[in-house]
Amino acid sequence: MSPTGPAHGPPASEPLLRVVAIALGGALGTLARYGTDRALVPRPSGVPWATFTVNVAGSLLLGLIVTLVVERWPPTRFVRPFAAIGFCGGFTTFSTLAVETAQRAQHGRVGLAAGYVAASLVAGVVAAFVGMALARGRLFPLPGQRRFVPDPDDLGGLDPHAAEPGRGGETPS
Amino acid sequence: MIVVGVMVAGACGAVLRYSVDHVVQRRAGSEFPLGTLVINVSGSLVLGFLTGSALHHGVSATWLTVAGTGLIGSYTTFSTLMFDSVRLAEADHSALSVLNVVVSMVVGLGAAALGLALGSAI
Repeated sequence: MSPTGPAHGPPASEPLLRVVAIALGGALGTLARYGTDRALVPRPSGVPWATFTVNVAGSLLLGLIVTLVVERWPPTRFVRPFAAIGFCGGFTTFSTLAVETAQRAQHGRVGLAAGYVAASLVAGVVAAFVGMALARGRLFPLPGQRRFVPDPDDLGGLDPHAAEPGRGGETPS
Repeated sequence: MIVVGVMVAGACGAVLRYSVDHVVQRRAGSEFPLGTLVINVSGSLVLGFLTGSALHHGVSATWLTVAGTGLIGSYTTFSTLMFDSVRLAEADHSALSVLNVVVSMVVGLGAAALGLALGSAI
């Protein structure tokens, strides 16, 4: 699929290793969410700050990681399964948001329920967008990104980074 | 000890999410992230059911934490829903992007409420 992917296909053990990476990331993401939940124990009819926090933070992290993996970094095999599918997927949760909202609406706190959903969605979309913009260096340059910016005075061939493998530089054949 | 249970359940939830998404998305084969929608709606139904039965039938808190917070919490995902919505909007599929968020929220909340009612009744 990717033009920079392995020429002879992945080794046979790779799908299994990918699943292991997802499981490890999922375990750590779930642990981080459980820890946040313990630290910010939600009152049954109050604002569920723990779920709100993990969902917004996880959306920013996922936007950052997936954009870095897909657009910025050289091809990696296990970063996306571990960090994106595993950790961010396990860290954030939709079902808890849905059940917390339904419970608050059923207890007559309809305004709180509506505000919680609206705030989660708005903050989540903004967070994912900010994560993607950060990865693309649109908010401020990330460490090591400066060398990707073309130098207008460079006539070519003298840039020490131009011939780095995997950076798109011309190499003599 | 409960931490180990939560982590193992979280690992299983993530792998289950990956598997369901793979199967659903291969059959759907479109731009619309149907896999994540199926995952989030089914997970909300199950978590509602577990929470409802725990509240009304005295299911242990440990069991609810491992199965609910661990397994179902990790199975469903909010970050992918948000990421897909921004990605669809960027790809000039703004209508699909809004549809994805609205359908996920409305059907997900309905599933959670249905689950809570079923769990309390049974």
